[in-house]
Amino acid sequence: MVKMIVCMKQVPMVSELPWDRKTGLLRREAADGMMNPACKSALEAALRIKEEHGGHITAITMGPPMAREILHEALAMGADRCLMVSDHIMAGADTMATSFTLARAIETYCSDFDLILCGCHTSDSETAQVGPQLAEELDIPSIAMVDDLRLAGRRLRIERVSDHFLETLEMDLPGLVTVTTAHFTPRYIPMAGLQDAFQEPNILTAGAHDLGIEEGQSGIKGSPTQILEVFSSTAGKQNVVMTGAPKKIVEDLFALYEDSIGSVIRKDLKAVK
Amino acid sequence: MVFNACMKHKLVRKSVREFAEAELGPIAHEIDREARFPAEVVQKMRGLNFFGLQVPKRYGGAEADSISYAITIEEISRVSGAMGLCVTVHNSVGIYPILKYGTEEQKERFVPKLASGEHIGAFCITEANAGSDASGVETSAVADRDGYVINGTKIFVTNGGVCTTPLIFAITDPDKPGRSASVFIVEKGTPGFTVGEIEDLCGMRANPVSSLFFEDCRVPKENLLGKIGDGLKIGLNALDTGRIGIGAQAVGIAQAAYEASVKYSKERQQFKKPISSFQSVQNTLADMATEIDAARLLVYRACDAKDGGKEFGKEAAMAKLYASTVASRVTGNAVQIHGGYGYSREYDVERFFRDAKVTEIYEGTSEIQRMVIARSILSEPI
Repeated sequence: MVKMIVCMKQVPMVSELPWDRKTGLLRREAADGMMNPACKSALEAALRIKEEHGGHITAITMGPPMAREILHEALAMGADRCLMVSDHIMAGADTMATSFTLARAIETYCSDFDLILCGCHTSDSETAQVGPQLAEELDIPSIAMVDDLRLAGRRLRIERVSDHFLETLEMDLPGLVTVTTAHFTPRYIPMAGLQDAFQEPNILTAGAHDLGIEEGQSGIKGSPTQILEVFSSTAGKQNVVMTGAPKKIVEDLFALYEDSIGSVIRKDLKAVK
Repeated sequence: MVFNACMKHKLVRKSVREFAEAELGPIAHEIDREARFPAEVVQKMRGLNFFGLQVPKRYGGAEADSISYAITIEEISRVSGAMGLCVTVHNSVGIYPILKYGTEEQKERFVPKLASGEHIGAFCITEANAGSDASGVETSAVADRDGYVINGTKIFVTNGGVCTTPLIFAITDPDKPGRSASVFIVEKGTPGFTVGEIEDLCGMRANPVSSLFFEDCRVPKENLLGKIGDGLKIGLNALDTGRIGIGAQAVGIAQAAYEASVKYSKERQQFKKPISSFQSVQNTLADMATEIDAARLLVYRACDAKDGGKEFGKEAAMAKLYASTVASRVTGNAVQIHGGYGYSREYDVERFFRDAKVTEIYEGTSEIQRMVIARSILSEPI
């Protein structure tokens, strides 16, 4: 039986994320939440391992109380039990404080694991750091951005695309992987699962005190990352509409883009003229 | 009283919506155009317990509460009214009467296959000369040795073309149609039971609505649901639950038309402005949103009464009456907002418009709902 932990995060559902302009932090309460897509793929990967080899899945999230929703969702999909890590002193944690906190939670409640699966990145902050940092905290090997994986005994064989090359890597357990959405399309949730997930949900709640974490070790006070400014990126593109007779348009086009076109067709257009 | 969706109901909506948009979304237009029952999607619905939504776990169902059930119907109908219809009729009038009035033996024999979706249910009252007036049913069931012989024709049977265990409303004594009305479970393959042509209807075209013919169709006495003469009671009770489903379906169709209208009104430019900037369009959108919200709350109130073990006939009739009226009005206004495009079969709003109309007709017409409501309020003490 493979003992697995899936770390997951609730992210805002909307594509335009509301943020607090003073603090630079996301206003998560302003949007409806959902399970981060890559985390859902990580859970799907764990469920497939469980189906093939037998196993036990603990889903963990750290977040405000409303993040509990994704743990119910994890139970509905097939996770065996959940751990909700939540405390006001954990609010505003950066990736380092988050991985530190998750590591303490895992050590406290489920240190006896074989494999930790995380989403490769989150749709709201995109850092892709928590998974690998968590492996560092726990001092276990890790492979990030995994597209596909297969378990053979105590060895995990993974595939991932890196710089347009397909890599095949092997890692002995215990270890950690971060999973992409490429291969593990999450299953639909059956109604019976949804009803069961709220009947007697197997969700444990842990605060900072339970994990032996003090103020300053987690949350915004335990986070070395400082957000100086949050701003919308601008595309920096401009359309140029050329008018006039075709001959004039071609001349104007060459006048503007002579060097670029020449480099593509590998000819010095000045010389051609 | 709670007006905000709880975590469970939010998640139910999210999950069903994800399924409906991904699996039914790409084909909803086509199955309507071609009047095709999408067996491939039905197969996927089976694994998600959509055919045993409120059936107890011991018979293989999901044992969901009524609001979860309504949300499921709403979300399927938001994408395809015809498939919402298939699921709601199967779950409400197709299964519920067996659960409520069936013997343990009947439940064990019929419900697990219905709950898994292997069998599809239907409920047949309507005939050429009977519909709103259930006592006008002419289909007869004559006691014969250890069973009954059924003769008659049922029309406009939802799921008719695909049903495997329809519940048939028949009379055993032509002189006392009301008192002898009874319900029989007829299984597909029983000699004398045949399915007629699929009806060419204005809306709900992906649902194989058809006639069912019974010609000396012999069923064992074990297939009688309840007792002889229980027909009207079973029928009325089944329709009460059915009305919650049709109310939810109407809300789902209206929601789809409303969302399409909001999106289109922001995109469509006239007089160099999006039409959503015009007050007349804004007024229409505001009315749509308000009425849909009100209809939804009425449906959930009926669900709440049902789950609380209270009488819910009046509540279900009010929900169905109001939601279906709103669905017709909202989809009509959606066509108006879309202008010429709304009248084109290229756009979905004309489908919503056609689908919405029948919610005012089946499971009791609006006129019958008013009768049910009036009867209830006039019998209440002042």
